[in-house]
Amino acid sequence: MISSRNPMKDKVAIAAAATTGFQPRNTERSRASYAAQACIQVLRDCGLTAADVDGISGSTPPAPELQTILGIPEISWFAEPVIPFVNQLSAAVSAVHSGLCEVALVYHAAYREAWSTASALKDPFRRPLSPGVSPGPETIFGGVGYTAWASRYMYEYGVPKEHFGYVAINGRTNAAANPAAAMHKPLTMDDYLSARMIRWPLCMLDMDVPVDGADAFVVTTAERARDLPHPPVLVQAAALGMVDRHEEDQTPSLRQHGQQVVVETLKAKSDFWIDDADVYFPYDGFTIITLNWLENVGYCGPGEAGHFIKEHWDDKTNRILINGRVPVNPHGGALSEGGTQGSGHVREAVHQLQGLAGERQVPDARRAIVTAGGFFFNAQGVTLRRD
Amino acid sequence: MDELISDEELVTRFPGHTLTRDNAAHYRGRLAHRLVINRCGDCGTWRHPPKPVCPACWSWNIVPTEVSGQGSIFMTVFLHQGPPAEGVDYSTPYPLITVALDEQEGLRFTSTVVGAAGDAIRIAERVELDWIERSGTPLPVFRLASTTAGSSAAGTSTTAAVTEAGR
Repeated sequence: MISSRNPMKDKVAIAAAATTGFQPRNTERSRASYAAQACIQVLRDCGLTAADVDGISGSTPPAPELQTILGIPEISWFAEPVIPFVNQLSAAVSAVHSGLCEVALVYHAAYREAWSTASALKDPFRRPLSPGVSPGPETIFGGVGYTAWASRYMYEYGVPKEHFGYVAINGRTNAAANPAAAMHKPLTMDDYLSARMIRWPLCMLDMDVPVDGADAFVVTTAERARDLPHPPVLVQAAALGMVDRHEEDQTPSLRQHGQQVVVETLKAKSDFWIDDADVYFPYDGFTIITLNWLENVGYCGPGEAGHFIKEHWDDKTNRILINGRVPVNPHGGALSEGGTQGSGHVREAVHQLQGLAGERQVPDARRAIVTAGGFFFNAQGVTLRRD
Repeated sequence: MDELISDEELVTRFPGHTLTRDNAAHYRGRLAHRLVINRCGDCGTWRHPPKPVCPACWSWNIVPTEVSGQGSIFMTVFLHQGPPAEGVDYSTPYPLITVALDEQEGLRFTSTVVGAAGDAIRIAERVELDWIERSGTPLPVFRLASTTAGSSAAGTSTTAAVTEAGR
């Protein structure tokens, strides 16, 4: 049952966002060092010190570890939600709104690990203490699930692989203007179609880039954020949507999974939707996820995302520009900035709304929609507006 | 006899799998070459993976019940790489299928296909349950209905070349 009740609307702000930038290789640094760097940077950007922080939300590294890394003297609240990142963010927003804390440090460090890239194991510091035993390949649990649903998408809607390719090309074009991005080399449709197949029907360029790096945020009350150096970005609504039978192979259909719940919830709790959004951030951990988000948020009907993208493709800049105006993942997304499990999408949304997005800046961006995550346990979204 | 093995031995037969009180009957069924899915003894709803209670009516009368193994392919994946497993060579892309079981709309089971390759493995194709052994433990798999005994025409696809689509 979806409710429109939303007492926290516009009461809590993201005061600042910072990133270390992302590297598509095993760097000679720890995950904790990236988290620490992003957190220190975002606190300094706000003119805050460790003593100003009384809440922490983050899971990689765990929040208690981060407190002692940064020497934060006392906190009254912390959380370690599972990814993707709207979970970390919305936990902090509700904690600030309810009074569990007043200044929450929220972060996510992406790190190349065995689950995202086998080459992580070349680094002895990344090898797990006790290597897991595989149950065998006969499962679509985890990322394989998106590949399976991509086969279903192609079957049900009769669409070609090129429709997935548009998403990859859009991300790469946008990443070229983002100094924090891992991938900058431009991409053609031929590059996409000839890329190494990993799990048919998805190839290497359908999957996000495993990276090292971190994002961090300061979340506080709207009142307090107005006294800090950057324009506050107000959180209108957040949603973490799931449907029953959300296991990868039991999920009801492409038209009935977590994303539809997220969309209905955000629409019920927010003052604006896609017609009034200036920039849109659909998750792109796999290209199929982005196609489905475009359909589910209402830009087009089921199976029409590829046609929609073609129709709204800006040939001059070689990327999506919805109605000639709204860019999609202008930072390059998980596919080309790096696989940050959504923190990159939120960070870029904040920078766009603060007017801090550099050469990627959308003129006078006031409202942003972030729809993070995929179909199963992990469909999420947040609507943001400039104060 | 397999139904009588101890919990201790049952767990050791399925390394890498998370066995629980709720799915033990499913795994015991595998050892006897029976694909066992939880069914509600009151409302009749099937549910997989196993739950401790019926999610449809909250009855605790859960009856692990053998399914026919008949169904149709709902989704397909061809793995060009994957975890090491006995008898699996990814140089020929390894097929995974999620099968819509005939017992109930939306009830699905995921495994591989044997006796077929490449383009023969398509969504909506009818399949039947079969069993192979991996490291001495039975693994439920599927076979295209068109390749089972009595139908030799399509039965030669085992060696079908990998298609240009990269399957």
